[in-house]
Amino acid sequence: MYSSIVRLQNAFGFFTTVAFVVAAFIAASDLLSPRTPSVGVLKTTNVQVVRGRPHYYSHKKEEYAIIKFSLDADLSSLFTWNTKQLFVYVTAEWPSAGGSGSGQNATNQAVIWDSIITSPSADHLANLGPIAMKKLKRSAQGKSIDPSRGKLSIKNQRPKYQITHPTGKLAEQDNVVLRLHYNVQPWVGILTWNQDVDFWKWKTFKNNLSKKFALPALKKKDEKKAR
Amino acid sequence: MLSSLGNPRQAAAQLMNFGLILSSAFMMWKGLSVITDSPSPIVVVLSGSMEPAFQRGDLLLLWNRNLMAETNVGEIVVYNVKGKDIPIVHRIVRKFGTGPDAKLLTKGDNNAADDTELYARGQDYLNRKDIVGSVVGYMPFVGYVTIMLSEHPWLKTVMLGIMGLVVVLQRE
Repeated sequence: MYSSIVRLQNAFGFFTTVAFVVAAFIAASDLLSPRTPSVGVLKTTNVQVVRGRPHYYSHKKEEYAIIKFSLDADLSSLFTWNTKQLFVYVTAEWPSAGGSGSGQNATNQAVIWDSIITSPSADHLANLGPIAMKKLKRSAQGKSIDPSRGKLSIKNQRPKYQITHPTGKLAEQDNVVLRLHYNVQPWVGILTWNQDVDFWKWKTFKNNLSKKFALPALKKKDEKKAR
Repeated sequence: MLSSLGNPRQAAAQLMNFGLILSSAFMMWKGLSVITDSPSPIVVVLSGSMEPAFQRGDLLLLWNRNLMAETNVGEIVVYNVKGKDIPIVHRIVRKFGTGPDAKLLTKGDNNAADDTELYARGQDYLNRKDIVGSVVGYMPFVGYVTIMLSEHPWLKTVMLGIMGLVVVLQRE
């Protein structure tokens, strides 16, 4: 009746059941920790539109925008024991010609800057050089959760990505707006993004929009740069 | 031990049992497919291009319906490129336009450049229909078994052998 194979099967079955139940509890525990992210400042500091090749593989010259910005935000409540990393990103949004409004109705959206903030328990997974890695690990020595990493204060940041448009035209575009987003990556469970409505203990991400601004006219400086 | 082989009724019952397990697994997979509207609702991460969020072997649950909102910038999607049969898991970083014709550009968090070079020849952007689903759930490491099986094919033979042996030797 109870051969060793049956015992082995039962042990393995019980192990997987327990593992899945524990994982489900960990995932559900996310709901119990309040999320109260807030934004102090999100504003542009310098905007330029240049005509050129934004990437080495661009096959044609096009207009691209370089949007420098300042950011002040407190995302520390997003770091819990089930947070593996926080992906923070800033998008620029603008309506198409003939379109209307901004925000969720924006028809063009492009990430201009992003940042991966690992939880100290996930530091070893980050893609960093040995010196940066050492520094990162030392910054939270002995801690497995470090909410202070969620406090962002960035001044006059250069964008990581120069934004373009399929038409190749961007200069003198009106009604552009910057928006801050986040994505919480758990160790196990559901991926979550910033919300527009309150969900029990998770609060809406407010003030994450900059003022509307217009992209300036084309800057005539790279004529001599072009081969 | 092999007494069941002598009893045709018991052998048939075991065959049925085995068939039942296989068909219910298939039904669950297809059922999930219908619920999520995705041809492949669960995928295993094969590359490190989304590290540190996803490692090789992690299991992702996909969702392919746009009930509340459109597929937007910041979502992590799985997409197929024409002529390449390996699905790619990357994040949407640009979106131009709305609806099914919106132009989408993706990028791996761990990659320096966007995915333009991964797309088909002459393709600069993805459309909504190229996307198999957006990642909504995450389970680490569980999918590593399938990576092992596809990289070491002899393991498949071993596993099938063990399974067959268990079915034959098992007594109800």
